[in-house]
Amino acid sequence: MRVSSKDSVVSFQNVWKRYGEVIAASNLNLDVQSGEFLSFLGPSGCGKTTTLRMIAGFDQPSEGDVILKGKRVNGVPAFKRPVNMVFQHYALFPHLNVADNVAYGLKQRSPRPPSKEIESRVSESLELVQLAGYQNRRIWEMSGGQQQRVALARALINKPEVLLLDEPLAALDRKLRREMQIELQNLQRNVGITFILVTHDQEEALSMSDRVCIMREGEIIQVGSPRELYDNPLNRYIADFIGKSNFFDGVVQKSSANDLEIRLNNGAQIVAANSRQHNTYASAAPVTISIRPEQLMLSRRVSQLPDEKAIVINAAVRNRIFLGEHTEYLLYNEQFGEFLALSPRQNEIGEPPFEVNEDIHISWNQEATLVLNHD
Amino acid sequence: MSKDNQSITKKQFMKELWRFKNGSISRRQFLGVTGLGVATSVLAGAMPALIPRKAWSASDIGDRVVLATWPNYHDPANFEKFTEVTGAHVQVNVFGSNEEMLAKLQAGGSGWDVFVPTNYTITTYVGEDLIEPLELSKIPNYAAEAFDPRFSDAGSVDGTVYAVPKNWGTTGYVVNNKHTDGRKLTSWKDFWDISMNEFTGRTMVHDYQLTTIGNALKYFGYSFNSVDPAELADAEKLLLEVKPHLFAINSDYQPPLRNGDAWMSMCWTGDGKQLNTDIPEMEYVLGVEGGEIWSDYFAVPRGAEHPDAGYALIDFMLDPAVNAKEVLAHGYPVADSRTNDLLPKELLEDPILYPAQELLDALEFGAAATLTDPNRAELLARFKAA
Amino acid sequence: MKSSLVHRLLLLPATMWLLVMLVLPLLVVIIFSFGDRGPAGGYVPGFSLDQYANLPARFTAFKNTMILAPAGTLAALLIAYPLAYYLAVKANPNIKTVLLVMIIVPFWTSILIRTYAWIYILGGQGIPKMLEFFGVEGVRLINTPYSVLIGIIYGYLPLMVFPIYVSLEKLDKRLLEASQDLGASPIRTFRNVTLPLSIPGIATGCMLVFILLMGEFLIPALLGGGKVFFIGNALVDLFLQSRNWAYGSAVATTLVIVMLLTVSIYMKLMMRGSNIREEVSLL
Ligand SMILES: Nc1ncnc2c1ncn2[C@@H]1O[C@H](COP(=O)(O)OP(=O)(O)OP(=O)(O)O)[C@@H](O)[C@H]1O
Ligand SMILES: [Mg+2]
Repeated sequence: MRVSSKDSVVSFQNVWKRYGEVIAASNLNLDVQSGEFLSFLGPSGCGKTTTLRMIAGFDQPSEGDVILKGKRVNGVPAFKRPVNMVFQHYALFPHLNVADNVAYGLKQRSPRPPSKEIESRVSESLELVQLAGYQNRRIWEMSGGQQQRVALARALINKPEVLLLDEPLAALDRKLRREMQIELQNLQRNVGITFILVTHDQEEALSMSDRVCIMREGEIIQVGSPRELYDNPLNRYIADFIGKSNFFDGVVQKSSANDLEIRLNNGAQIVAANSRQHNTYASAAPVTISIRPEQLMLSRRVSQLPDEKAIVINAAVRNRIFLGEHTEYLLYNEQFGEFLALSPRQNEIGEPPFEVNEDIHISWNQEATLVLNHD
Repeated sequence: MSKDNQSITKKQFMKELWRFKNGSISRRQFLGVTGLGVATSVLAGAMPALIPRKAWSASDIGDRVVLATWPNYHDPANFEKFTEVTGAHVQVNVFGSNEEMLAKLQAGGSGWDVFVPTNYTITTYVGEDLIEPLELSKIPNYAAEAFDPRFSDAGSVDGTVYAVPKNWGTTGYVVNNKHTDGRKLTSWKDFWDISMNEFTGRTMVHDYQLTTIGNALKYFGYSFNSVDPAELADAEKLLLEVKPHLFAINSDYQPPLRNGDAWMSMCWTGDGKQLNTDIPEMEYVLGVEGGEIWSDYFAVPRGAEHPDAGYALIDFMLDPAVNAKEVLAHGYPVADSRTNDLLPKELLEDPILYPAQELLDALEFGAAATLTDPNRAELLARFKAA
Repeated sequence: MKSSLVHRLLLLPATMWLLVMLVLPLLVVIIFSFGDRGPAGGYVPGFSLDQYANLPARFTAFKNTMILAPAGTLAALLIAYPLAYYLAVKANPNIKTVLLVMIIVPFWTSILIRTYAWIYILGGQGIPKMLEFFGVEGVRLINTPYSVLIGIIYGYLPLMVFPIYVSLEKLDKRLLEASQDLGASPIRTFRNVTLPLSIPGIATGCMLVFILLMGEFLIPALLGGGKVFFIGNALVDLFLQSRNWAYGSAVATTLVIVMLLTVSIYMKLMMRGSNIREEVSLL
C-alpha cells in the first residue's frame, strides 16, 4: 500500500467503482495536495462524477480506500465529511431565500452558531462571491450566474477542507463562463481551500488548474500541471486531448539513450530526441510522433531555417486564418498529408505572410518531436 | 348459513356480498335509506347475467318489466320462470323504506311498472294521484273472495281497487336465547329493559320511524300509531336513554345477528323465520303489549311504461302455485286461501308466520297518519342524530 | 374594449357552468332554508328563522363531523405520507408500479361494496376475533367512532397518497444530496427539504379529503351502524326520510358556511406558515 504524502487532503488508493457490469472507476490512485486546484478532465461517461461523488460520500468505492485528511472514510456518509460540493445545476433550495440557502450548512452544525454569527458569515460569504445585499432574494429571481455564486457561497461558508465542483460552469454562456473561470481562480487563491473541479472542457481545465487529472473509461491516464501535460503527454490520447497537434504513425527502428530513429508509415525516416524516460523501445514498436503546430518552422527559403532541424519538407499553403497574434496555416505535402501550423506575428517581421497556394518549406527540430505510445 | 352461529365463512361472505350486489339485503336495509337502492339496481343492470336476453317467445308485453320492491322478498326462480313464459325480463329495484318509495314516485319518472306499497301508504298514493286504479280483468288470478279481508281491505279506497295483496306479516323482535340465561322475553318492556342492561351494546332497532317509535310507545302501553305529543315525548326519552346501549340503528339486522355481534333486534316475520330456521336459538317474539301487523300490496304506478307487462307480472305472482313458492322462499305469510292450501302443514302452523290469536289481537295496522306525521319523522331523525 | 368582450365571451361557458351547477342549487338551498316543511313533507315557501333556531337538534352530528373529519384527515395523512414517500423515493420501479396499481385497483369496485366488506372485517368475527386469539378480549370496533375512522382512512387513503406522491416524485433528488452534503443528517434533510417541498401535496391531499369528509355519509352509515352520525347522514335523513326540506336546507346551508370558514382559515394558516405553495408552483 502506498503511503499518501503528508499534506495530501484527498487520496485514492487502488479505488474501484463498479455498477454491475459497468466499471465507472478502475484502480484509481491519486493524491490531491492541500490548497491546490485540481481538475478532472475527460470525455462524457469516463467516471469524473463518480470519482467526485466518492469524495463527497454519495458513492462508496467497491474496492480500495478513499482517504480524507489521513483518515479512511469508506462508508462515512456525506453529511459527516468535511467537504462541500457545488452541483452541476446548483441544486439550490427553492423554498429558501438566498440567505437561508447560504446559511444552510452552518445551521446544521451542533452546536448551532448564534444567529448573529450566522448572519455576519452569510453576508461575508455573499460579499466573497460579489452578491452583497442579495440576502432576501428568492432563488428563481436570480440569473444563472448569480445562482452559481449562491451555490459557491453556500459551499464556501462551511470552510470545507475540499470544495468539489461538478461542471459548475456548464450551464453558463461562453462569456459568463470565462468571467466565472477567472473569478473561481481568484476565489480559490483568496480562500486557500483545495478545489477539485470536474469538467470536459480542456480549455477550462488548463486555464484554471494547478494540476489536471485526465481520465478515460474509468482510468486515470495522466496527472500533471497543464504545461507538463501539454509538453509531455503520455500518449496520443492525451496529446490529442490537450491542445492541437500533428500526428504521424510509425515504428521505432533504432533506439539509443539520446535518439530514436523512426520510420514513419508514409515512408519518411526521422530522428527524434529520446527525451522521455521510456527509452527502451523494442525494435519495430509502433509509435506516433506528435508535432505541435507552433513548433513547426515555416520559410520560403531553406537557408532561413535554423540549423539543428530534424527534417525539411516542402509544402503548399492550403488555407490561412488570421488569428491576431497568430496566423494559422493549413499546409499540404504529398507524403505527409496535412499539417497544421501556427506562426506567431513577430515571425512575419520583414517578410510578408505566406499566400494560399504558395510553395514553402517546413521543418521542426528533434526536441519538438514527441514520441508517443499508441494508447 | 351455519347453524352453530360461529365465524362467517368465506363462502358465506361471498354470498352476502352477492346478495348485496343484487340488492337483496334484508328488508329496508338502509342502503335504500341512503338513496343507494337505486344505485344497486343500476349495478344489477350492469351485470351481464341479468341483462335481458332475447326472448324466445317475444309476446306483445314487451321485453321487460320494472318492479320496485323490498329486499329478500321474492324467489328469483319465479322471475326466471316469468321471463321464460312471457319473454319479459324482470328488472328489480330494491327500496329501503316506504318514505323513499313515495319520494321517488313524487319526483316522477320512476320508470316502474309494478311496485309494492305497504297498507298504510295507499291512501297517500291515491291522494297524490300517484297510483292507477287496477283493471282487475287483467289479473284473472286475483280472486277477491279468496283473500282474508283484513289483509286486502287497504287495497281499496272508496270502493276502487288500487292494489292487491302480496304478503302480510308482523313486526316483533328476534332474540338470541343463548344470551338470556334461560329467561324468556315476552314483551316490548323486556326488549327495552334488557337492552339497557344485560344486552348493552347488543340490540338493534330499525332505521324506520314507524316501527322504532311505535315499539317504544308500546313500552308505555301507548298505541303503536300514537301521534300524541306527550306520548311521543315519553317514547323519545326512552329512545335517547337506550341509544348509547344499542349496537346499531339499522334495518339490515340479519348479518350482525348471524355473526354474533348483535343478540337481539326488531324484526319482520320473514327475517324472523329465516333466522330461526338457520339458528334455532333465535326466537321470534311478539310483544304482549302489541305492535305492528302489516300487509304489502302489488300496485301499478301512474305513467307505467310497460303496463301490460306489469299486469302480467302481478297476475303471474298471484298464481297460487307461484305464490306458494314465494312463501317457501321468503317466509312471509299470504292472505290467499288458495295458496295456503298448497303450503305444507308445518308452515301453516308455524308460530312465527301465524302467531297465536291473542298475540295477533293486540297488534295494530300502521296508519297513514303515523307514517306522514312530521313530528314522528323528526323524532326519529333527532334520535339518530343524538 | 374588443379584447375584453372576447374575454367575456370566452368566460361565458365557465360562468354559466358555475352558475347552473353551483350558484343556483346553493341559492335554492338558501331560499328553502327560510321556508317550512309541507304537510306531506317537502317545502312550502315562507320566511322565518325557525329552521335555524332548530339547529341545536343536530349539534351532535355537527360535533361528530367536526371531530372525525379532521381526525380522519390527519390519520390518513400520517399513513399516506410514509406510503407516498416509499413509493416516490424508495421503491424500485417494478415494485412501485405494482404498488401504484394496487392503490388504484380498489377504485374499480364501488366504495359501497368495499366499505361493506369492512363491516365483516371490523365485526365480531373479524379483527376482534383475531385479537382474542392473541389474548385481547372484548374489543368492540364495529359501530364505534373507531370503525368509522378506520373506514375513512381506508376510503380516503388514495386521495391523500396521490397528491403527496406527485409532489415527492417531482422533488429534485439532488436537493437531498445537497442537503446531506451541507451536513444535514437524513432526518434533518427530510425535515428541512423533503417535508417543506412536499407541502403543496400535503395541502392538496388534506383539503381534498377534509372537504369530502365534511359531506361524508356512507362510511358512518355503514360502519357507524347509525350510531356515529355525520351531518351528511342528518341531511340524507332530512331529505329522504323525514322529508323536511326546509330544515334540511338550513342544516346544509350551515354546513356550507362551516366548511367555507374552516377551509379559509386553513388556507390562511397555510399561506402564513410559508409561501411555499406559490414558490414551488413557480418552479
Ligand atoms: N448509479 C449508476 N448506476 C449505474 N451506472 C452508473 C451510475 N452512475 C454512473 N454510472 C456509469 O458510470 C460511468 C461513469 O459515469 P460518470 O457519471 O462518473 O461519468 P462522467 O465522467 O461524470 O460523465 P459526464 O461528463 O457525462 O458527466 C458511466 O458509464 C455511467 O453510465
Ligand atoms: Mg458527470
